[in-house]
Amino acid sequence: MNMQLLQDVVLVSPLIALFAMSLLPVMMKVFQGNREPNPYVTLFIGFIGLSLATGLTAALSGADKTAFSGAIVFDGITAWMSYLVYLITAVALMLSFDHVATRGRQFAEFVFLMLSSVLGMIILIMSNDLIVTFIGIETMSLCLYILCAMSKEDVLSKEAAFKYFILGSFASAIFLYGIAFIYGTVGSTIFPDILESVGTLISTNTLFVVGLAMVTLGFAFKVSVFPLHAWTPDVYHGAPTPVTAFMATAVKASTFVAFLRLFESEGYGDAVQFQNVLQWLAVLTMLIGNVAAVMQDNFKRMLAYSSIAHSGYIMVGLIAAGFGNNFDAGATSVIFYLFSYALMTLGTFAVVAMFEKAENSTVGMNELKGMANRYPLLSLSLTVLLLSLAGIPPTLGFFGKFYLFSAAIEQDMYWLVLWGVINSVISVYYYLRPIVMMYMSDDVPVEIVGTNGMTRLTVIFTAALIVVLGLMSSPVLKAVQRSVTNLF
Amino acid sequence: MLLTAVTFLPLVFALLIACVPSQQTRMIRVASLVFSLIVFAVSVVLVARFDRSTAALQFAERLPWVPELGISYFLGLDGISLWLVVLTTFLTPVIILGSWESISTKVKGFHASLLILETAMIGSFLAMDAILFYVFFELSLVPMYFMVGIWGGTRRVYATLKFFIYTMLGSLMMLLAIIYLMYAHHDTVGLFSASLLDFYKLQIPFVAGTFLNPQTLLFFAFALAFAIKVPMFPLHTWLPDAHVEAPTPGSVILAGVMLKMGTYGFMRFVIPLFPEAAGYWAWLFIFLGLVGIVYGALVAMVQPDIKKLVAYSSVSHMGYIIVGLFAMNVYGATGGLYQMLNHGVSTGALFLLVGMIYERTHSREIVKYGGLAKALPIFTILFLIVTMSSIAVPMTNGFVGEFLILLGTFEVSRVYGVVAVTGVVLGAAYMLWMVKRVFFGPAGELVKDDHHPLVDLNLREIVVMAPLIVLVFWMGLFPNHFLDYSKASIEHLIQTRDAYQLTIHTSAAPGAASGVTSEVVSAAETAEARK
Repeated sequence: MNMQLLQDVVLVSPLIALFAMSLLPVMMKVFQGNREPNPYVTLFIGFIGLSLATGLTAALSGADKTAFSGAIVFDGITAWMSYLVYLITAVALMLSFDHVATRGRQFAEFVFLMLSSVLGMIILIMSNDLIVTFIGIETMSLCLYILCAMSKEDVLSKEAAFKYFILGSFASAIFLYGIAFIYGTVGSTIFPDILESVGTLISTNTLFVVGLAMVTLGFAFKVSVFPLHAWTPDVYHGAPTPVTAFMATAVKASTFVAFLRLFESEGYGDAVQFQNVLQWLAVLTMLIGNVAAVMQDNFKRMLAYSSIAHSGYIMVGLIAAGFGNNFDAGATSVIFYLFSYALMTLGTFAVVAMFEKAENSTVGMNELKGMANRYPLLSLSLTVLLLSLAGIPPTLGFFGKFYLFSAAIEQDMYWLVLWGVINSVISVYYYLRPIVMMYMSDDVPVEIVGTNGMTRLTVIFTAALIVVLGLMSSPVLKAVQRSVTNLF
Repeated sequence: MLLTAVTFLPLVFALLIACVPSQQTRMIRVASLVFSLIVFAVSVVLVARFDRSTAALQFAERLPWVPELGISYFLGLDGISLWLVVLTTFLTPVIILGSWESISTKVKGFHASLLILETAMIGSFLAMDAILFYVFFELSLVPMYFMVGIWGGTRRVYATLKFFIYTMLGSLMMLLAIIYLMYAHHDTVGLFSASLLDFYKLQIPFVAGTFLNPQTLLFFAFALAFAIKVPMFPLHTWLPDAHVEAPTPGSVILAGVMLKMGTYGFMRFVIPLFPEAAGYWAWLFIFLGLVGIVYGALVAMVQPDIKKLVAYSSVSHMGYIIVGLFAMNVYGATGGLYQMLNHGVSTGALFLLVGMIYERTHSREIVKYGGLAKALPIFTILFLIVTMSSIAVPMTNGFVGEFLILLGTFEVSRVYGVVAVTGVVLGAAYMLWMVKRVFFGPAGELVKDDHHPLVDLNLREIVVMAPLIVLVFWMGLFPNHFLDYSKASIEHLIQTRDAYQLTIHTSAAPGAASGVTSEVVSAAETAEARK
């Protein structure tokens, strides 16, 4: 029995390492009489924590194991998505090191919160049990609520944190209520048990359907899927930009994985009504995100709406995975898309971060005017990132969308894909607008001030990666495919 | 390796140019010109080594790209694409020399865009893998978007966005159709493939008379993408905007090559992939083509702006090509292909000439001109020659193309033929009327303006026009010099349309096709087996 416990602890050792390292900066601060440690040291400790966790995950990878009585699963998806979240966090830490709203006196606390939030995400990714999922979501969210409020001078930041907290708690309550219903009908909260009984319960048991719907809504809130998307623009706008970049990518990636695990069953095949509801949610998410983004003049808000739209695209892959006969293909496309989406979103938000001179500044489209004349490399990188978000080949974003649409077409979901295509066309309009501003205007450009070495590096690095991996998407696809099939 | 070279050399050159400091404008221009001439030289090698006796793919190169989904890097050349590639490599140096003085801002960006665009266009003509084709097809939008948006006229942003979004809408539908075909191939053969050669072998269910059957829907998804690109009436509205706002080199490349990507798509994808649907719906496309011919000509007649007139004449001329292709006979298809080249040469030349006069007067309004013939004799002579080519006077290239198309059209139906012929008359009418108003009669306000005396073409401008003028007569007097290369491919396309297949010709490019599993059957044998 003790042997078993030891093995379980070894499996979650990345989490332990991460947590220990996240405490280090705060402890240093406490023992130095509440004096902020050197931010370089803090950042370095953060990186050590992330690399330790990555290393341990890599050392344990290849194992298809469960731990703690099946509540945690350690498989290919866990490993792959953990790497992605660690990568995102490393980039987000670099951005927050540079950024005016997060650089201040509380960087040690910032790193602690960030890594604790990652802890929640990894729990979410590993979770094989609804209660564990809930713990993961809560750990992640509680840290995020505070992170959103980290900008000390900005009223919007406080407002965002408060909105996020109130609505998030509400969503968590719904989620928990849903778990209760599912436990009541299935008699278990472990995913394999639930997924086994989906086929029989979904068409016969109303209580189970209610529970499933509530759990779905809880997930929908976290990944900002219609009708629970309304918080996204305000929170993304108000939060410090590095935190926004972190939320838009890492939260989405980890929550979608848990969401995906809930659909890993043949049992959904006959649940036509449930499928229809989800399809319309996907379509409306895409439409609302894209149409609202067209009307934005604030660059950050536009990206917030575009991230809603991207949740809609990912839903297409999710539905193809859940309601078709080829879960692997759908799941591969979703994970591939999350990967490409994370890269391009991080890069674009990094550009926004560079333009923010003060804590309460907003970046209007007009501020990009004439940027190409002054910062050619940066403009080119942003162009690549935006074209990738729009899905123009040969960028990674194109292949992401291509695999999503392929997975849906394989399941004959033509109308869903058609909506995806229509939305891609709408999105081209607003993704091209910043490019128009940068290149097709002769105004004198705004000067970018402040320290931004690492932010600049992020922009250029993500843009380069998007082109290179776009041209050579095959190895990435193969890796994702392997990680997905490893699971089953 | 030859095809990869001709496709990616411009991209490499574009990267090289990006490394030159942007103040060195003269060096950038000279380097771009030399680079584009090198690419042209490579394409001439292609022509020289091209085996005109076969319809099979030559110089084929194939490497796996995304093997999980059967996507490969697959380039191949046949009689249909050969001249379009050469047209692209030929027009690029002409454009660079033609824009020597007219592009004065952001010279580096302009030349880099132009060379990237060249890669995208050549790639679309050579790609034999549907996804690879799509990548090049979409990639070509980006540099064009910048060319119109940065160096264009006052309404350039509107025009360039309209162009981009319009084209994107069509091509995304095509992407869905391509994905569908990939899965159809997977369902029938058990393997993923995006290769066109494999797509040709698919039997796609077709039900005549209804709309909701796979082949008809796929046919329209592809046709929409290409019809927007061509552009066919009533999807042409982006074209006049884009042409008027585009800088001269942008207009030349747009009219000269990019529109051909649409008609090429009809020849390469739509007709051979969906033979039944294409046959069944041919009347619709011929009808829309005819409407385009007449409508384009009538609208061109009333344009006050020379460039807009030429833009609408493009709509009319592209209508001919569509009619020729959907006539589905050898005359029509040959004429269609030939007219693609003619239109590239003569409309390209017209846009260059309009650009030259615009550089002198900064106006394109017809009413402000008049009596130019006295002021600018060389310009007038060149303009007249190109006009003759555009209105298809015998001995010029336009005549051969239009004559073949009309032959093909009459073979289908006399009514179609008669309507198409009115387009020839109307074409002559609007062009000659414009020439009369601009070059003859009393001197207009811009021509008699003594403060800004007009200067005739300089040596550079004559050098720009010379190869185009030579081609007008060469293609008009000796069409077989060109058509011989395409004959086998076009006959193969028309004669085996219902069960079209392409094979890879190995002897032309030894070693290049290694690893290709398709059996090698010469085109002649395939054709005989069909009979």
